[in-house]
Amino acid sequence: MTSRWSVNMSVDLPKPVSRAEAAWTDLLEGMSKSWMWSAMAMQDIKMRYRGSLLGPFWLTISMVIMVAAMGLIYARMFNMDINRYLPFLTVGLVIWNFVSTVIIEGCQTFLSAHNIITQVRMPFSVHAWRSVYRNLIVLAHNMVIVPLVLIIFSVPVGWSVLIIVPALLILTINGIWVSILLGMISARYRDVPPIVTSFVQVLFFVTPVFWPPEALGIWMQALPLNPLFAAVDVVRAPLLGGAPLAYSWTVLLVSTVVGCIGTFFLFAKFRPRIAYWI
Amino acid sequence: MLVATTTQGNLARDATDRINVRALNNVTLDIEDGDRVALIGANGAGKTTLLRVLAGIYSPTRGESYSAGRISALLDVSLGLNPEATGRENIMLRGIYMNIHPREMRSRVDEIVEFTELGPYIDMPARTYSAGMLVRLGFAISTCMPAEILLMDEWLLAGDARFLDKAQRRMEQFVGSSSILILASHSADLLHKWCRRSIMLDHGRIAATGNVDEVIAIYNATPTQLIPPQADATNSRVGAT
Repeated sequence: MTSRWSVNMSVDLPKPVSRAEAAWTDLLEGMSKSWMWSAMAMQDIKMRYRGSLLGPFWLTISMVIMVAAMGLIYARMFNMDINRYLPFLTVGLVIWNFVSTVIIEGCQTFLSAHNIITQVRMPFSVHAWRSVYRNLIVLAHNMVIVPLVLIIFSVPVGWSVLIIVPALLILTINGIWVSILLGMISARYRDVPPIVTSFVQVLFFVTPVFWPPEALGIWMQALPLNPLFAAVDVVRAPLLGGAPLAYSWTVLLVSTVVGCIGTFFLFAKFRPRIAYWI
Repeated sequence: MLVATTTQGNLARDATDRINVRALNNVTLDIEDGDRVALIGANGAGKTTLLRVLAGIYSPTRGESYSAGRISALLDVSLGLNPEATGRENIMLRGIYMNIHPREMRSRVDEIVEFTELGPYIDMPARTYSAGMLVRLGFAISTCMPAEILLMDEWLLAGDARFLDKAQRRMEQFVGSSSILILASHSADLLHKWCRRSIMLDHGRIAATGNVDEVIAIYNATPTQLIPPQADATNSRVGAT
């Protein structure tokens, strides 16, 4: 039924935007709205610890307990000097905590924002930034114990420790693509979050986090296949006054590039469907 | 058979035996500066879906949707209200979702708090609020910032008579300052008051367009009807979900 309301053909409508362009705009817009995702992340943290006694330092305390318990037993098992093992374990656990939580919470990126996504138009990448930034805040709280441990065990740390800044930056970028990718897959297939959780738990045991990579012996050749080890190694080694294994940076950069390109491709394709999936 | 007895959009099984819902079918619209549009239809006709497409929340699976101007989509008055956060925190959060910078929101907080008349409850968690209090909060936040393009979906105005009065005046101001209004409602009163033109949706298709009175007459001729004007005066609830 037509009326004087039918499409006004004299209006110049803009050219349709390609999906890739829309996805790229989404990513740029999301990154630029730092006030949005940082405020949301802060609120998440505040809410998480509301009503609790220790607040965010609950994680720090639980980490100290874990380190104390594991340190004594596993130093014995791996025949490592406890003065070397405890700092190794502490730093490893702190970083692993960050990496594993980013991955597991990455599954909930869009699912947890269901209310917002169906009510208000917002770049989707904002939710990924929110998740990663929130985990960076938690990491900052946990990092508090690292200098203490390094001092107590007299770990020789020089200026080369500053390389953890670009290292953490690369980890953040990886966190973003993982959050977007897993967020999309989990929005479509609801059994993905528990599968990812189990997978990450298994990875904790097979990745040299609480045991030294040398314990692998001949299987060390397969270690470059584990990008999570590269992620941990690249931050842990400088903090312990050493250098990461030769291939760690390469593995990390390769997975960053492959991850970003692959996720961008999928994000461009499926971004319009996310609002329908959740 | 299913379609004929329901008012919802079309359901069908595709080749892989998945159920598809066609909520909107061949909807072509052009809405310009100054338009005040009423969206009428039975439950499930596609009004909320259309509003979401117009707001940019849903991408159309076929065709394009263009908009120019700041869109305020007020599709659910309790948008993102976090029950564990205090009223004050919810104001800031909601401002963020509405793309208002915290700096700007902070300057409006006092005005919003005053409007809600929640008093000391504003610093209590939102889960301690009654439904009416939540609506006051949601409404106050939604109407704090002038909107260029205002999309409203069946506003639930549950509240006591005094708040309703206040809300009506605030609405007048709010709607008056927007360039475009698209309002989905079942209330004839609201539609006559705010809108000039109307679109009627039926099973996801545009069944009628034109002047609000004409279209309301067409709609009232169908089995489902609008809430007639005299019923509204006695109810404290306007519109329905």
